[in-house]
Amino acid sequence: MAIDTANYQFCVKFPGSLEYIPAVRKFVSETLLANNFDPKFTYRSEIIVDEICNNAVSFGCVSVDAVVELQCMVHGDRIEFEIKDEGGKPDDLKRLTEAVKKRPRKGSPRDMGKKDSLGLEIVRMLSDQITFETAANNLTTVRVVKLREEDGEAEGDEAAAAG
Amino acid sequence: MGQLRIEVTQSEAAPEITVLRFEGDLDNASIRNIGSSFQLIIEKNSTYVVADMSGVSMLSSAALGEIMGGRKALVEHGGDLVLACLSLPIKTKLTLLGANRIFRLHSDIRSAINAYKWEFEGKSEVFTLSMPPALRFVPSARQFASRLAGLKGYSRRDAFRIETIVDEICNNAIEHAPADSKRNVALTLSIDRRKVEINVINASDPVKLETLRRMLSGAKEPPQPTIEDRRGRGLALVKLLSNGLDIDFSEQGTRVHATKLKEE
Repeated sequence: MAIDTANYQFCVKFPGSLEYIPAVRKFVSETLLANNFDPKFTYRSEIIVDEICNNAVSFGCVSVDAVVELQCMVHGDRIEFEIKDEGGKPDDLKRLTEAVKKRPRKGSPRDMGKKDSLGLEIVRMLSDQITFETAANNLTTVRVVKLREEDGEAEGDEAAAAG
Repeated sequence: MGQLRIEVTQSEAAPEITVLRFEGDLDNASIRNIGSSFQLIIEKNSTYVVADMSGVSMLSSAALGEIMGGRKALVEHGGDLVLACLSLPIKTKLTLLGANRIFRLHSDIRSAINAYKWEFEGKSEVFTLSMPPALRFVPSARQFASRLAGLKGYSRRDAFRIETIVDEICNNAIEHAPADSKRNVALTLSIDRRKVEINVINASDPVKLETLRRMLSGAKEPPQPTIEDRRGRGLALVKLLSNGLDIDFSEQGTRVHATKLKEE
């Protein structure tokens, strides 16, 4: 097939419920492993996916039929995770805005955020950039960028073992 | 510590569901109030109740017994009582008392409502994957399908068969796509209590599409030992494992749809 082995994307859409997150994060990590990503990089990516999915479901899904969409865009030098949800209550959006805009913490672990904002702190520690935007219809998108060279993962994207 | 407040409302998302919100201490002094609330609910002919426990600061064994009595009465009327939004200490206590084997526990009200819709209204949960047309993406996709089936109460045998169906259809979709195709393969899983619907859409290779059409119409010549036989066997396997298989062709691509019923 003619896919670009350095630049490609995969996506998963799932109902906004916490019970599906382990399956989603496993799907992402298994896909990255199958694409020659280093196990350490893969595991850290799995943690990022878990945290952003938990945030999206817990704070961005209000309606019963809420759906979360996670896109993983792989580039030669980085991987980008983009998660979209239907947008939460105004208070949750305000908290998310503050958490994303906050400068990275450099203090001791004791200075870390409160338990309810720990997820984004973890994502910030494991990634290189977090951005956030809200559309007019309240649709919220969080984008996390993780550089590939940071964890020294194997170069190259030759096809791994096929199914 | 806080005096108990009880609020009974109907869910906006599903008016047939009653939300019973407790706030404060569920202690021995609150037993009468708890009992009255259940009586009121049953008099209103409400049968499915979600107890919102997010505001509960303590739970005595006697109060738990009263809640269990309320659940029993609802079950006798064809309904149920589920618990949602439990704090970790209350959840731990319920588990230690073995109440987690009696009550279904949900992380939030939305999950409890979705569980009701799944159980009583046959609601399906829909998952969509989009992946590049390369075989190395298939194993994680098929395992995703298998995990979801297991999560939704399908047996290991069913889950494995669903995994096999997804594997075969996705492999076919990738192998049959035009060699220069960059379009992602779309896999949709729609799961309800009785069946899993699997849809795979890919870009169509006109030459291979014609072979597939002939194979499906029965016009294709008997299999020869070529690569196409291997593909034909995959489709035959899907036919064997599934309860329904159809394929349609449009400008959007080829869509393979398989249905797998839950084996009781």
